[in-house]
Amino acid sequence: MYLVLRIVIGGIFIFSGLSKVLSPYQNFLYIIQDYQLLPSWGEVLTAQLFPWIELIVGVFVFLGLWTSWGLRGALVLSGIFVVVVGQALIRGLSLENCGCFGGWVHLKPQAVIVLDSASLLLTSLMLRNISLTKKISLDSYFEKA
Amino acid sequence: MNKWQSTLVIVLVLVGLVAGAKIYLAPKKAQINIQTARAKGNPQARVKIVEFIDFQCPACAYGMKFLKTFIGQHPDDIYVQVRYFPLTNMHHHAMISALYSECAARQGKFWELEDLMIPQQGQWAQLISPEPVFQAMAAQVGMDINQLNSCLASDDARKVINDEKALGQSLGIASTPTYFINNKMVVGVKSLQDELKTYFPN
Repeated sequence: MYLVLRIVIGGIFIFSGLSKVLSPYQNFLYIIQDYQLLPSWGEVLTAQLFPWIELIVGVFVFLGLWTSWGLRGALVLSGIFVVVVGQALIRGLSLENCGCFGGWVHLKPQAVIVLDSASLLLTSLMLRNISLTKKISLDSYFEKA
Repeated sequence: MNKWQSTLVIVLVLVGLVAGAKIYLAPKKAQINIQTARAKGNPQARVKIVEFIDFQCPACAYGMKFLKTFIGQHPDDIYVQVRYFPLTNMHHHAMISALYSECAARQGKFWELEDLMIPQQGQWAQLISPEPVFQAMAAQVGMDINQLNSCLASDDARKVINDEKALGQSLGIASTPTYFINNKMVVGVKSLQDELKTYFPN
């Protein structure tokens, strides 16, 4: 079960990161601007870097490489999404699309809160049971080698 | 190969593959065709803007109002061309509003119709069918209604709109409004304003 969870969570982050990395960064920048949280230079930096961070965290979790760190990264990212989207909803900002998956999938912000809260929970569960989570992984390969 | 070396290899391969995919999928540059009834301003202007919009998109309406004012302030320095990018999965009237706009353009009344359609977007967007409103607007700007209805019934106008949307997608557009300012892509009115400040610092 933990292997499946790891692959699913890793896959979601890979999909999320790829959907933004393969698209011009200006599309994600537009979404970030809607959240009205950062100064302009911060928005541009986030738009260019964040998708790569998501992608790399996703790959590490998916492959089970540096699994604990990858899962901690996923935890932080999920927490950030919940906070960012939550504050937008509390402030009543108009968000047609969360921008989580670039232009590939459109999710309402409320759905994102649910999805990312579930991700937080499941990632925490995997971290608590790290030996089961790493059962079939690159980490276990290197530990045996 | 130890774990650190393997990690480095995996990261380098990942970055290389994705960067390669990005380069391969890189959008082509927007070309401005000045032979269009959907353009205004000075064709020789130092700042040329191609604007991809959805007429039911509130941000696009805001952008059009902003650009109208901006062109008024800098009539010789700006050239704007409008292209269609209806977000039909999000906006029920995106296609019909684009069709009326294209048919208006064919009668040389594109901007006159936009001057009515854009400010009233909030009202017609709520309607089950905005066509009676658009027909009234068309009459108000002096369009030939028979010619308009023939245009609406033909496939040609729809093809133009769909072709422009496909062009937009090939340029990497995912949202509206998207602008190409001297071929540099910016998305949203805030980025448009920021980019225009680099050309017009005062």
